[in-house]
Amino acid sequence: MDDKKCLSMNDLHFSYTPNEEILKGMTLEIDERSTAIIGQNGAGKTTFVKLLKGLLRPTSGTIQFEGKDLSEFTVAQIARHIGMVFQNPNDQIFKNKVIDEIMFGPLKIGMSEQEAMDSANEAMEMLGLTELKDENPYDLGLSTRKLVAIASILAMKTQVIILDEPTIAQDYAGKEKIKEVIRRLRQQNRTVITIIHDMDFVADTFERAIVFANGKVILDGTTREVFAQKEVLEQAYLEQPNVTKLCYGLGYDKVFLTTDEFIQEAQKQIER
Amino acid sequence: MAGIIVKNIKYKYPATDRLALDDISFTVEPGEFIGIIGRNGSGKSTLCQAIAGLVPNFYKGAYGGSILVDDLVVKDTEISDLCKRVGIVFQNPFNQVTGSKMTVYEEIAFGLENLGIPKPEMIQRIDDAMELLDISRFKDRNPFDLSGGQMQRMAIASIIAMKPDVMILDEPTSQLDPQGREEVFQAVHKLSQQGITIFMVEHNMEKIAEYSSRVILLDDGKLVALDTPGKIFSRMDLPEYGVTEPAFTTICKGLHLKCKNTDEYPVTLKEAEEVFRVYQSQKEENRNG
Amino acid sequence: MKSISLYEEKGSMLNRLGPESKILYIIAALLSPMLAGTKWVGFGFIICSVILLVQSRVIKKTIPILGVSGFILLTVVIIQGLFREGNVTPVLSLGKVIFYQEGLLFAWGIVINVLNILLCFCVLILTTKPSDMVENFVRHGFSPRLGYAVISVFQIIPQMTETMATITDAQRSRGMETEGNLMVRIKAFIPLISPVVMSSLINTKERALALEVRGFNATNKKTFLNDQKRNAADRYIEWSLIVVMILALVWRILKWQVL
Repeated sequence: MDDKKCLSMNDLHFSYTPNEEILKGMTLEIDERSTAIIGQNGAGKTTFVKLLKGLLRPTSGTIQFEGKDLSEFTVAQIARHIGMVFQNPNDQIFKNKVIDEIMFGPLKIGMSEQEAMDSANEAMEMLGLTELKDENPYDLGLSTRKLVAIASILAMKTQVIILDEPTIAQDYAGKEKIKEVIRRLRQQNRTVITIIHDMDFVADTFERAIVFANGKVILDGTTREVFAQKEVLEQAYLEQPNVTKLCYGLGYDKVFLTTDEFIQEAQKQIER
Repeated sequence: MAGIIVKNIKYKYPATDRLALDDISFTVEPGEFIGIIGRNGSGKSTLCQAIAGLVPNFYKGAYGGSILVDDLVVKDTEISDLCKRVGIVFQNPFNQVTGSKMTVYEEIAFGLENLGIPKPEMIQRIDDAMELLDISRFKDRNPFDLSGGQMQRMAIASIIAMKPDVMILDEPTSQLDPQGREEVFQAVHKLSQQGITIFMVEHNMEKIAEYSSRVILLDDGKLVALDTPGKIFSRMDLPEYGVTEPAFTTICKGLHLKCKNTDEYPVTLKEAEEVFRVYQSQKEENRNG
Repeated sequence: MKSISLYEEKGSMLNRLGPESKILYIIAALLSPMLAGTKWVGFGFIICSVILLVQSRVIKKTIPILGVSGFILLTVVIIQGLFREGNVTPVLSLGKVIFYQEGLLFAWGIVINVLNILLCFCVLILTTKPSDMVENFVRHGFSPRLGYAVISVFQIIPQMTETMATITDAQRSRGMETEGNLMVRIKAFIPLISPVVMSSLINTKERALALEVRGFNATNKKTFLNDQKRNAADRYIEWSLIVVMILALVWRILKWQVL
């Protein structure tokens, strides 16, 4: 594994107040695989990504990005390499036009006006927002505004992109768009990390799942490996994706993640 | 118990051209659990708000047709009266906390104080509501100290204490973690068992299929269909309306496995498991026979 | 911080008294010195307030307030003592610096008034739950809507502060600097304030909806979950305060007559 491409955390500890530790010694490596971080609220997921962004500094332990210690960089410097879409688009959108909002980040991290415009157009095209570029984001529905927020971070062309609950309030079409974005980012060799509660979406879209519980990592592996562990998931108050539940209910050995997989395998069985 | 009669409802929000609700008519019997699905912008929230009277009495706008909750004409009833019959819970738990009360107990009392309920009855209703929603142990906590799921249950309790016959839930779990979601669905299930008529907007099709007696499919403000989950999710044209079916149904559609003696596909985990078992045993029989 | 409030339940006598008594106490503390025409009444109320605050175990919370005002009052004393027009009688000299009696007496009057006001308000604010106070107003006919507007501020502002922190994080995450010279901070202003305003508007609208469907605008008479805090002690104290004010007035009249 190429050392330069990853984020690595070593014995990471974090507390907001001295007597309550949120992260209790995490050692992890994020590689180029698309990674979903799942777990109950309060398990430390948001704290973890804030540490990756430099918004918080660890109480002890280190985070390294491409071999360099993150604590040596400012938030603005980190923003050039690690982008994050916050959960509520209303917490960041302030421009009157979609295009201006999307260009804000790129301009702030040092792109020229032309580069920022090109990048914004590319991001809008990825998310199907091109027709809406001159609209006021607040005239759009919440789910579309969320897509604008995602576009505004994509346009910054960071190596790593963190998505905080991207699928909330999205309908089927919105989720498909986001799936497509994640696949394209993966093709561009960019690392996608997401915090998410939608297990079906994770099963369909992500290569790796990390389960947080009580400030620690209790499961870490491919989504197939992780979702096979019903009992451990239950301890973290999580469920298996629906397709996996069906496999389990039918007593299958193999773990299926998507409906297509299941159908293909079952059709083979039928043909026998 | 309340039945709902919706007749030719048309509605436009102020300063818009588009009809948010376009000539919708249907009838719901008391005690039914109606799931509402459709793509974003299809009119699901607007329909909820129309049944609760917020459209047109809060939002104004152009309104035609009528909605009857039992004998009450929604358009002609003040929200402060209608809220005794029709309760509504929204997506964001934080924005349903009044902010004027320091404990969960007092927070639930807020609506009852507004309605002028005498104190002894108030206490009984609050205790019952908290027990139903399993939040009695939080009664002295500050409402803002609760988790998302607990806060949403408190919001439901605050409405339930007002003893409505109809309960509307507009995407009540979308901002919650899996545990919070499970807590809310269980609570809603209990309400349904008490005979309250329920309308629920959800994107989680598996839950819609599990709980609903019938499902409304909306598209572009129009009512496309109102039928049992089995019939709705067995439709092959769902992608046209921007919705999908439960994962189990997708699988069975792909394998052409329908429920025994019907023209419908399974829509819940149990039904799917059953269909597969029947299919396996038939295969066994065919092999042996 | 879940709510802005200096109140803390200590189970003290003042906690058990209703807000009306304490409000009447403020009125008495402010009016009596004026009615009696002498600063010693004000001084008396200061002593009274301090005793009440100590008894209620909230005196520590007054220290920051007293500290700040004490500093300001000290400057008033110094300036008036040194420079007031009409200063003729020297009273104290520190080297070349001379303090005059007229100025010091004038300043003393100001000190008494200010401390009196601060302390009697502390007696109310530090021992009364804000929601009890507002509920009290509503019981007496104050508009419930206005009452809600006042009381919700105590909890909504801390929530907005938290949102503000998230918004700052989100914008910093996009490369925006928030710390540095004035120019940097000015540039950061709109990206920070605009989402705060928009979020607040959206949240306010959603909250208004939630209030509406809980009968907020019902026109019938409202009931209260909490019993009104009022008992014999309240009445006794209220009458005593009224008597004190009358006595103050009587004292003033007597003084005139003597003259």
